[in-house]
Amino acid sequence: MIWKRQIPILIVTLIGSITLFGWFIDQPTIKEFVSDDATQWFDILASFAIILGALNLIKLQVQKVLYQKPGWIYSVVAISGFIFAIIAGFFVKGVDDSVAQWGAHVTTEGTLFKWMFDYMFTPMSATMFSLLAFFVASASYRAFRIRNFEATLLLVSGIIIMVGRVPIGSVIPSWFIMYLLVLSAGIYVNVWKKNMTTTFIFVAVGIAVVTIAGFMAGWPIDKPGIFYLPAIQEWIYYYPNVAGARSIMIGVGLGIFATSIRYILGIERSYIGE
Amino acid sequence: MSRIEDVFLKIGSIDRRWIFLIIAAVVIVPLLFPIGLPIRATATTKHVYDAIERLPAGSNVLLSVEYSPSTRPENHPMTISILRHLFRNNHKVFITCLWPDGQFMAQDALNQVAKNEFNKVYGEDYVFLGFRPGNEAVVKGIVSNIRKIYTVDVYQKKIDEIPLMKGINNFKDFDFLFSSSAGFPGTIEWVQYASDPTGVPMASGVTSIQVNEVMPYVQAGQMVGVLAGMPGAAEYESLINQKGSATSGMDAQSVAHLVIVLFIILGNISFFIERKRSKKY
Repeated sequence: MIWKRQIPILIVTLIGSITLFGWFIDQPTIKEFVSDDATQWFDILASFAIILGALNLIKLQVQKVLYQKPGWIYSVVAISGFIFAIIAGFFVKGVDDSVAQWGAHVTTEGTLFKWMFDYMFTPMSATMFSLLAFFVASASYRAFRIRNFEATLLLVSGIIIMVGRVPIGSVIPSWFIMYLLVLSAGIYVNVWKKNMTTTFIFVAVGIAVVTIAGFMAGWPIDKPGIFYLPAIQEWIYYYPNVAGARSIMIGVGLGIFATSIRYILGIERSYIGE
Repeated sequence: MSRIEDVFLKIGSIDRRWIFLIIAAVVIVPLLFPIGLPIRATATTKHVYDAIERLPAGSNVLLSVEYSPSTRPENHPMTISILRHLFRNNHKVFITCLWPDGQFMAQDALNQVAKNEFNKVYGEDYVFLGFRPGNEAVVKGIVSNIRKIYTVDVYQKKIDEIPLMKGINNFKDFDFLFSSSAGFPGTIEWVQYASDPTGVPMASGVTSIQVNEVMPYVQAGQMVGVLAGMPGAAEYESLINQKGSATSGMDAQSVAHLVIVLFIILGNISFFIERKRSKKY
C-alpha cells in the first residue's frame, strides 16, 4: 500500500513544493532543477506517455473488433492506419540512406511516411475541418434568433465581427450603415406607435438628415468611424472582448492555483485512482 | 402580405442540404473568379510588420510552427509571409515545432521560401530544429538550455556541427520570436514561459477562433502584435507586397460571411412571422 499511496503522494508534494517555491529561492541548484532537470524529466515521461497512449488506443480498437461492437468496421480502419504508420515510420523508408537517414525520413520527399502524410493525413484532416463551414452556416441559420436582449446583442456583435473582419466590410460606407439604422429605427417606431404617418415622418426626416450630413462631409467611406464596420469590429475586439477574455483567464488562473495547492497538500489524489 | 409571409416561412424551413450547396457555391466561385476586394491592414498586423522591419540585419529569429493541415489555410500563409519578410531582411531563422504536424508544415514552407525563392543555405541562414514532445516543458527547456532539448536537428545532424548554432544556448540569444499557432501548446505558452520572463519580443499568427484569448496579451504589451486568422495573413501579404493564398481566400471568405449573415436575417424574419402567427391563434 505504501508504494501505491504514500510514496506517490510524497513525490508529488516534494516535487510540487520545490517547483513552486523554487521561483522564490535564490539557490542555483534548485533553480537549475526547476528550469532544467525537471523539464528534461517531463520530456522523458511525455515520450513514454505517447507510447502508452498508442498502446491504449490499439487495445481499445482491437477489443471493439474482437467483440464486434457497434461501429467495429471503423476500428478496422483505425488499426490498419496504425499498422501502416508504424511500418512507414520504423520499417519501410522508401528511399536510400543517401537520400534520408532514419528519423530525417519523416519529412523527406519521396519517403513512404511523407507520402502518407501528404496524400492521406492532410486531405482527411483538412476535410474534417472544412466541414465546419457548412455546419456553422446551417447552425447560425437555425439557432441565431432574436429571442431577448442578450441574444440580440450577441447577434448584432456577431454580424459586425463577421462582416467587419473581412475585406467586404471595409467597402461598406458608414453612410449605408446609418441609412440601415434609420430604417431599423423606423420599424421600431412603427411597432411602438402603430401609425403609418408618424413612421413615414420619422424615416423621411432620418434619411434627410443622413443625406444632408453626407453631402456636407463629402461622403467619406470610413467617417463617422462609429458607423464604419471595421472600426466597430476593432473596438469590439479590443474592449468588450478583452475584458471578457481577461476575466475568464483570471478565473482559470485562480482555479489552477487552487488545484495545484490541493495536489501539493495531498488533498487531490485522483492521479492515484482515489 | 400573407403570401409573402408564406414565402419567408418556406425559406425558414428549407432543407439544410440547400444551405450546404449555397455555401459550397459561394466559396468555390470567388476562388475561381477572384473579385479583388481591397485589403486594409489593421493595427495589430502593422505592429508585427514594423517590429520585424526594426530588427537589425542578421538578427536571430525563432520561428515556432504549431499547427496541422486542418488549419493550414489560415496559418500557412502567415508562416510563408513571415519567412519571406525575414529572409528578405537577411535575418537568421531558427525553426522549432511544438506540434508533430508542425514539422511537415515548416518543411513545406522552407522548401517553398528558403530553397526555391531565396536560395538560402541550410546551417548558415536557417536551421530546422523540428519537433520535441513535452508541450510547455519544451518551451521552458529552450528558455534555459536549448542544447539539452535539441542535440540534433531534423536531419539528424549534430547541433554542435551546425555553424548557425554557434553562440545559441538559450532563448535570450534570440532577438525575436514568431509563433504560428493553432492552439495548445502555442502562443500563450510562449508568452508565459519564454517571452515575458526573458523580455525577448514576440509576435504571433493565430487562427481566427484563437484571437479572443490572445488579444489580452497584445493589449498588455506582452506581444508586439498578432496576425488574426486568414484576414491577418492577407493583410501581411499586402504589407510585404507579395500576394498569396490568403489574399485569394479573402474574397471567398467575404462572400461566405455575407451569405451567412443573409441566412441569419432570413431565419429571423421567418422566426418573427411564426411567432406572430402563433400569438394570433
